[in-house]
Amino acid sequence: MLEGRNRYGCIVFKGGEWKLKDIVIENLDKNTNLYVIPDKKFKTIYISYCFHRDLDENYTYNALVPAVLKRGCEGYENQKEIGKHLEEQYGALFDVGVQKRGERQILRFTMDVINEDYVGKDGLLAQAFYFLNRIITKPVLEDSMFREDYVDQEKENLKNRILAMINDKMQYSMERCIQEMCQGEKYARYALGSVDELSSLDPEKLYEVYRDIITGSPLDIFVVGDVDPGKVSALIKNSLDLERSHIKLIPETIIKKIGIKQREVVERMDVSQAKLNIGFRTNVPVNQDEYFPLVLYAGILGGGPHSKLFINVREKSSLAYYAFARLEKYKGLMLIGSGIDQKDYEQALEIIMEQIADIEKGRISDMEFTASVNAITTSLRAAKDEQGQLVDYYLGNAITGARHTLEDFIREIQKVKPEAVVEVSKKVKADTVYLLRPNEGDVEN
Amino acid sequence: MKKVIENKLLREKLVHSRHRSGLDVYIMLKPGYSRQFAIYATQYGSNDSQFVPRGRRDSITVPDGIAHFLEHKLFEEEEGNVFAEYSKLGAQPNAFTNFNMTAYHFTSTGNFHECLDVLLGFVGRPYFTDENVEKEKGIIAQEIRMYEDNPYWGVYFNLLRGLYHDFPVRKDIAGTVESIYQIDKETLYECYKTFYHPSNMALIVAGDVDPDRVIRQVDELFADGPTGNGAGEIKRIFPEEAKGVNKNRVEEKLAVARPIFALGFKDEEDVQDGDRLLDKLIANDIILDMLMGTSSDIYDELYEEGLIDSSFSSSYTGERHYGYALMTGQTKDPEKVVAAIFDEIEKRKSQPWEQEHFTRIKKKKMGEYIRLFNSLDSTSIQFVSMLFKDVRLLDYLERLEAITYNEIKKEFNELYSKDSSCLSSIMPSA
Repeated sequence: MLEGRNRYGCIVFKGGEWKLKDIVIENLDKNTNLYVIPDKKFKTIYISYCFHRDLDENYTYNALVPAVLKRGCEGYENQKEIGKHLEEQYGALFDVGVQKRGERQILRFTMDVINEDYVGKDGLLAQAFYFLNRIITKPVLEDSMFREDYVDQEKENLKNRILAMINDKMQYSMERCIQEMCQGEKYARYALGSVDELSSLDPEKLYEVYRDIITGSPLDIFVVGDVDPGKVSALIKNSLDLERSHIKLIPETIIKKIGIKQREVVERMDVSQAKLNIGFRTNVPVNQDEYFPLVLYAGILGGGPHSKLFINVREKSSLAYYAFARLEKYKGLMLIGSGIDQKDYEQALEIIMEQIADIEKGRISDMEFTASVNAITTSLRAAKDEQGQLVDYYLGNAITGARHTLEDFIREIQKVKPEAVVEVSKKVKADTVYLLRPNEGDVEN
Repeated sequence: MKKVIENKLLREKLVHSRHRSGLDVYIMLKPGYSRQFAIYATQYGSNDSQFVPRGRRDSITVPDGIAHFLEHKLFEEEEGNVFAEYSKLGAQPNAFTNFNMTAYHFTSTGNFHECLDVLLGFVGRPYFTDENVEKEKGIIAQEIRMYEDNPYWGVYFNLLRGLYHDFPVRKDIAGTVESIYQIDKETLYECYKTFYHPSNMALIVAGDVDPDRVIRQVDELFADGPTGNGAGEIKRIFPEEAKGVNKNRVEEKLAVARPIFALGFKDEEDVQDGDRLLDKLIANDIILDMLMGTSSDIYDELYEEGLIDSSFSSSYTGERHYGYALMTGQTKDPEKVVAAIFDEIEKRKSQPWEQEHFTRIKKKKMGEYIRLFNSLDSTSIQFVSMLFKDVRLLDYLERLEAITYNEIKKEFNELYSKDSSCLSSIMPSA
């Protein structure tokens, strides 16, 4: 069934269809896969077209393309027409997005449409595929290029969205921590692009990048809801009008292993609360067996109210309202985040580092271990009830080449022994301590 | 006393039972779902800062933020912390406090009945000591600081302070760092005794569960508990709210990239009746979409002028005693945006939208409502917040179908005007 990885790191399924209990996967052409998750309980059908792009120097172009496409297409030439159409379709949701998954960008075109049975109207699903195809393949053009006013407005909007990152201090401080840590690596690039790149953007090149996306970038299509996989496949084949001419190679994400030295970065801003974030290198690629104990490690350290960070930073010392650890699995990073009073900086950092040292010394209680296994199990199993989460999970598989269903993943987590967690914890190295602090107060820390 | 409520169109089934303590129990049957969700909530929020405590004659005024503080403290047990119990069972617990309610919930994918025991157990078992109350102050202070740095939160609360003169919705839910330091265990117990009586609470369960077993479980757990008889109504005291808005403009500077605005319209109809409230919720949801939805003329114009972007959104809040409509987003110029909105409002009063637009938005609302039932968590939370204002969530489609364009026009003409509005802006500090 499983043939192995092809050049861009995705699994290829030979002979058309690959069936798991929860998901039907079909290889539509050498560069396009369809994933259907049929589930009667959902009242809508969630559709996501995901194009994979390398996070290369064209990342700002990649980020702008979906925003321009969203503005209009043949038949629905502006937002108002699109808005009307979606309202007619019982409030179908349509959106585009750009996400970073390791050192690749995922350009997403998503729809969520009401199951026809609930409103007694035929053709809603077929309309959705038809509409998405139009958006992706039939943009409004002027002299064989995107409409100038659409490009200009979306450049401005994208710039504003990039700058608006600062509005959310938790997100901003974490993004800054990652940028500092990954300086010089592709991963330091922000998913939405850069303001400088936008100011000198070449509209001709933008259109070329768009053509390259639709003709050559790996495409994964996800459909989740009460559907018949055969019917979905036929609807997509009938509607999707892509001329696929080449295969775009996506290099593997580089997991930095050497030259890791702990450094400290302090930034000042007009804020009340300081954010202390720490970035680590896990040295564990996502497609290795050690990844499962690593998931547990992050869970024990900071994956919820049972975790060492929650108990020691928040409950025992009252230093923070939130303190967590999470993995950036594709890039081999672990990130710790907390919001503290500036005066408690040293104490908080010390307590956090103590928790890490404790795990390395094997100090994991039965309770901490079991609670983490259980918490991870629950969140994986609960993902089956959210269409978006299901898509994220299987998109992850498409990226890493993994083939575990959610239940397979749970089984792997439940097999992990505490010793394996201690073992993997020794590979995790602190890289960047990042502090966002209020303007006032003393200069030294 | 078990009752089955079925909505054939939605294909949803609901079991209702009222326990003799006065507790309302609703079980939403969701076959095929992996998770179970339970929410146990009391009709008690930050707005309830003045009331007559149970068994007393005179009213008291409590420090701001105490309902939220109480929510944090209930997780504390004599033998440690409820989180530990949940963790053993693999459940994900959480809680929230808003203006009108405090709710405790969990998500599980197994051990459901054990988790439900934990939920009903700890909420019924307050354990406050001087020491554990003190300890929480540092944590909540950091929670408040976190919100202080959040401009979206700031623009919203500033708006409420602009719309209201005295009504407590103008105060922060969590209180202030100063007010929470006035909280002590005696006041916490007083609030608890008054508002955490089962007759003031509801339990909503959603999932692939056996409803009879849930009802039996509640019976057993509450076997020795209080009865609803003689529980009486809680006397809540709200200040008389003056007519008109408190201020037309509120502005604050924060570390943001560009201005964020929130335009609010204060609804002065004092609604008590649930059916009327539901009609108002539906009417205003439709109005806001017709007025400023993505298919409206003005959305398109403002978008093309670069005055709004996809961060724009609108909503209506309708509660007992108060309500407001809200439009918010990022912009380069808040004054220009609201001037255009006011012009559009005036224009639509003399030249209303076409009937076809109204019909289309109704369809959209129908889809939005059906979609809600995909999510156990959202459905349950919506259900209980509606229940507390006597609104039956499952009546929505029927009322939506029935609402006429004339009702919409009337509601629009009454609520939306420059005089009943306030503009709150957050401007870049640097």
